[in-house]
Amino acid sequence: MEHLTEEQINKAIKLLKMRPDSKLESHLNACVHCGLCAESCMYYRAMKQDAFIPAYKVNLVASLYRRYCTLTGRVLPFLVHAKELDDKMASEMIDSLFGACTMCGRCVKHCSIGVDIAYIVHFGRRMLAAMGLVPHSLQQTVDTALQTGNNMGIPTEEFVDTIQWMEEELQDELGAEAHIPLNEENKNIIYTLNPREPKFFPLSIAAMAKIFYAANESWTISTNMYDVTNYGLFNGNNQQAGEIAKRLHDEVIAKKCKILVLGECGHGSRANRWEAPNYLQHRYEFETITAVELINQYIREKRIKINKTLNNELVTLHDPCNLVRNGGLLNELRFTVKNCVSNFVEMTPHGMDNFCCGGGGGQLAMSEYNERRIAIGKIKADQIKQTGAKVVVTPCHNCVDQLMQLNSIYKLNVKIKTIAEIVADAIVIP
Amino acid sequence: MAELIFDGDGFLTNPEVWNESVAEEIARQDGIEMTENHWAIVRIIRNNYEEKGNAPMIRTICKATGLKLKDIYELFPLGPARGACRVAGLPKPDGCV
Amino acid sequence: MQWYQYVSLGAFIVCFVALLGHFLRLLKHGNPKDLSEKSGNIPKAELYAYTTAMLPNQKESAYMHIPSYASGILFHCSTFICFLLFVIFFFVQPDLFPATLTWILVAIVFVGSICGFGLFLKRFFSRKLRGLSHIDDFLSNAITTLFQLATVSFLLSHYFAVFYYIVVSLLFLYMPVGKLRHVVYFFAARWHLGFFYGWRNSWPPQNNKK
Repeated sequence: MEHLTEEQINKAIKLLKMRPDSKLESHLNACVHCGLCAESCMYYRAMKQDAFIPAYKVNLVASLYRRYCTLTGRVLPFLVHAKELDDKMASEMIDSLFGACTMCGRCVKHCSIGVDIAYIVHFGRRMLAAMGLVPHSLQQTVDTALQTGNNMGIPTEEFVDTIQWMEEELQDELGAEAHIPLNEENKNIIYTLNPREPKFFPLSIAAMAKIFYAANESWTISTNMYDVTNYGLFNGNNQQAGEIAKRLHDEVIAKKCKILVLGECGHGSRANRWEAPNYLQHRYEFETITAVELINQYIREKRIKINKTLNNELVTLHDPCNLVRNGGLLNELRFTVKNCVSNFVEMTPHGMDNFCCGGGGGQLAMSEYNERRIAIGKIKADQIKQTGAKVVVTPCHNCVDQLMQLNSIYKLNVKIKTIAEIVADAIVIP
Repeated sequence: MAELIFDGDGFLTNPEVWNESVAEEIARQDGIEMTENHWAIVRIIRNNYEEKGNAPMIRTICKATGLKLKDIYELFPLGPARGACRVAGLPKPDGCV
Repeated sequence: MQWYQYVSLGAFIVCFVALLGHFLRLLKHGNPKDLSEKSGNIPKAELYAYTTAMLPNQKESAYMHIPSYASGILFHCSTFICFLLFVIFFFVQPDLFPATLTWILVAIVFVGSICGFGLFLKRFFSRKLRGLSHIDDFLSNAITTLFQLATVSFLLSHYFAVFYYIVVSLLFLYMPVGKLRHVVYFFAARWHLGFFYGWRNSWPPQNNKK
């Protein structure tokens, strides 16, 4: 890392001093360094390094806060461990906050106080982003999204070609009336995808289209903006996150659709459902829901007919952190899965206590910290092994990719599916 | 042979040194014995990368090789990105892969 | 009233005003304004955050660390009893307490102080914890443990009155400076956590319905 310039430091400190509400200072002042959070963190559990203790990560940001924003820290820095923002501090922050946290929030729930550690880590990332210190690979994913309109840089013609291909597959199965409508206006639903689907794993698109067909839904996908992801949530650059979010927002308005349905992507759902209106500083004019909630509605309202004996293998569920702990969809997810499979087993622990797949928080995009990602993934792999399940379902393409890698490395011999795929397998078309 | 440099994720960071024996070496790491079908996929990916600078769509791979999606996922259990693109010596694609 | 009582009263007022200042500043800065569409029930979530969510069976920091957790709870309970006694001592001198009550209080507070000292030792000797600890952490623990021991001594004999009131005064003066401020920030952090999880309908948790 090059030496920090005064300008870089000032930008980060400015952010720290600009506290628009009491949330950050409440959490920064509340940690009592009891260290009991250590075992709640996958990084500490897997590698037992002190720098991976969540309280240690909090302390990096808090020591800057004390130095620059509190009287004691300014007058008696040695007493309260108040630290200058210098090169050493910045590189420690990069390594801990970008390289050793998936922002899964598991430690938050288990903190003896209730410190929102993930929030502080994200704030630390914002300080690093203000200094231009985002790890290259993560920033590149954001840049690709900003430059090309999707995070994998897929050209529109190739996207359309793939969708038409999936439409043909769908018609082979369901008949000529089945469609994947592109760029239509005034529909009930505008649906979004993780670019990973059209690029490499398009079957989940066909699966969702089958569900829409079975529910007789009025829907469309926009070729202008279909990307549900927003890596701006992870790189700590709220301005870039806002820019990406605005594109999707504006596209829903342009296509005059009623409901924005977020494809199966944990962070993308979180970014668009919970964070985006705050990035853009206005309420959304349309309803925003996740694919999980939509499918859940279809089943409850009996808009789709399900025969769960069509899914006979033992299935377990991986809870994406951003949909369950940080998104409140614990019940919706279970209702959907349990209605579509005949043999279900929970992981231990699951739900609010679930372990991250290990690839969250942008880890999957950051090659720099790959070894750690695989090491913490062992916790998830062991959890899956213990269930004895043959199929792991999860409504997040990021989790799917991490699980695929864990499946190969830790020899789990499971199939990994999205919710749409498992539901589509159980659908009965009358 | 030029030195192979991999990123933390096992993708080549100097893709220009790639050749067929490099491909075989990477495939071996993943426990893959290269067959004619594997080669067909890898060549398409490599050509696309050399022409356009990125990995092709899975659609392009299917069309050009005549293989079914299912076959490709079976040939490269880590998927087209972490499996096939890595063997083809591409740098890591952006996004959730 | 004796001079040392006046000193402690002065220190108490300084402490109270400073902590009130922290509290009022938090109120002034207020809640984050969330513009996303709320999904849960904030009052229920806040109630949960301050009650059930704190139960030991809900938190790994408790059920995976029973000795530390129990010591912490006893240490805190004892501290609050000592604060209460500080107020009571202005109206009823400890030598006027019934003997049984004195011995019960001495027992509780003494156990509390042992727990506090135990946590001090743990912080000092555990490599993992030492790396996390600042001088402030040791000082905060030490002054609070000493406060409890002073309370015990004063309960037992009026001879320790000066010692007791000096320690109390030091504690009050130190509270707003270091981490003992968490007496305010603990509640604020839980408030924000309840708000965050409540807004997204993660708290209070619902049972798995079929």
